Amino acid sequence: MKIDRAELTETVESMKKQGFDYLVKITAVDYVNSVEAVYFLRNTEKNEDTTLEVEIDPSDLWIPTIVKLHRSADWYEREMSEMFGIEIKGRKAKRLLLEKWDGKPSPLRKNFIWGEPYES
Amino acid sequence: MAITKVNVGPIHPSTHGVLRLVVHLDGDTIAKVEPHIGFLHRGVEKLVETRMYMQSHPYMEKIDYMAPMSVDDLYVSTVEKAMEIEVSERAQYVRVVLLELQRIASHLFWVGSICNDLGQLFTTFMWGFRDRDMALRLLETATGQRMFYVNMRLGGLARDIPEGFGDETLKFLDYLEKRLREYEKFIEKNPIFIQRMKDIGRISRSEALDLGVTGQVLRASGVSYDVRKNNPYYVYDKLDFNPVVLQQGDNLARYRARVLEIEESIRLIRKALGKMPEGNALGMPVKLVSPPVKNRIVSVSRENPRGEEMMYMVGDPQGPYRLSIRAPTFINLSALDYMARGNRFADLFAIMGTLDLVMADVDR
Repeated sequence: MKIDRAELTETVESMKKQGFDYLVKITAVDYVNSVEAVYFLRNTEKNEDTTLEVEIDPSDLWIPTIVKLHRSADWYEREMSEMFGIEIKGRKAKRLLLEKWDGKPSPLRKNFIWGEPYES
Repeated sequence: MAITKVNVGPIHPSTHGVLRLVVHLDGDTIAKVEPHIGFLHRGVEKLVETRMYMQSHPYMEKIDYMAPMSVDDLYVSTVEKAMEIEVSERAQYVRVVLLELQRIASHLFWVGSICNDLGQLFTTFMWGFRDRDMALRLLETATGQRMFYVNMRLGGLARDIPEGFGDETLKFLDYLEKRLREYEKFIEKNPIFIQRMKDIGRISRSEALDLGVTGQVLRASGVSYDVRKNNPYYVYDKLDFNPVVLQQGDNLARYRARVLEIEESIRLIRKALGKMPEGNALGMPVKLVSPPVKNRIVSVSRENPRGEEMMYMVGDPQGPYRLSIRAPTFINLSALDYMARGNRFADLFAIMGTLDLVMADVDR
């Protein structure tokens, strides 16, 4: 399901009320012209899975947090923000989780070439 | 009282790899735990983008070195789904047998190491190792390797199981059932063990869902979600599989969930060996495979020994355009802070032990 960035928090909240109470994973894909954040949600009672896809413009790279709705979003959001340089708005910035490196470009973006030296 | 900060690790016998914990203590009570991870971060997700599909295949096994075959199977299944390859029926049965043997090996190692963490030094550890090694020897006869098998191929396996493998396995399962009774007597009747496990690190059903924990940690808190049951793959739906679900949600429940899962695996292997059909279990040569179309998106979930592992792949004819791995231990470790709060410092290692961490899987 493709949704707009502005309606992400509302969508996750209303889905939680419908029974999608388990967050499986948050990840992102860099399609060069856009970055897509993908949210996997699960209804454990009815055994249903759904994905929310949010397209973000690379020149304006941020997304609202959903950590108040799903506590498990905490580390996934931090990982995503570190790997793709996506700013997570609405939550406290914390120390780096995995890479200990926040130089540009972010490691999982396509303009980061494997094997080339980068300085932080 | 003032908060004292205590540093644990990154090299510590109870952290099963390199994990640093900064523990905030109020007296002897834990106020907060900050896990510092990333010491084993290899950038697997970036690395596979630079390779062709079957080049990253052996590398996938190193993600979870306690259960390499499970991750290998997950990766191959993801590629199979992207390329629309069917797995032959015999290969499905053989895969189930091997995967369940791998699960037994992984859980036996865990049973040994949790006792080590709790101070029951080396007796159960060695017992666990001895029995795990028998499972590994069986996997070695089936695949040719002791730990990193690289046995999965697109549409099947690199080798079919040899003659006599079924009988050997059944013999091992009979032996293991007797041994499990011994473990029970030795471990579960031990008052020190019970003291550090019962009612420690308890999380309720709703907390478990909110924290996003997976595998036995989730099922010990009363949530019945096992990929083998809820989203069956291979022939699990034909084998009459019942997931182990417990209600207490404490350390002891997580311990029992794993031991009961060994028994469930024993039952599954017996059934799968009994129903094993004749036919070809070998995979197809890579030359005959047509690559997936551009931007074909697939996601596959598997129940690994440590919980639900998922791969989300954006395909490309050359190789994966993007491969995202959901590591079960990553999300279980993120719940440690919440689970440990209010407990004694000494019990931190008991709680952490029941999460069954593999740091290579956490960091990827």
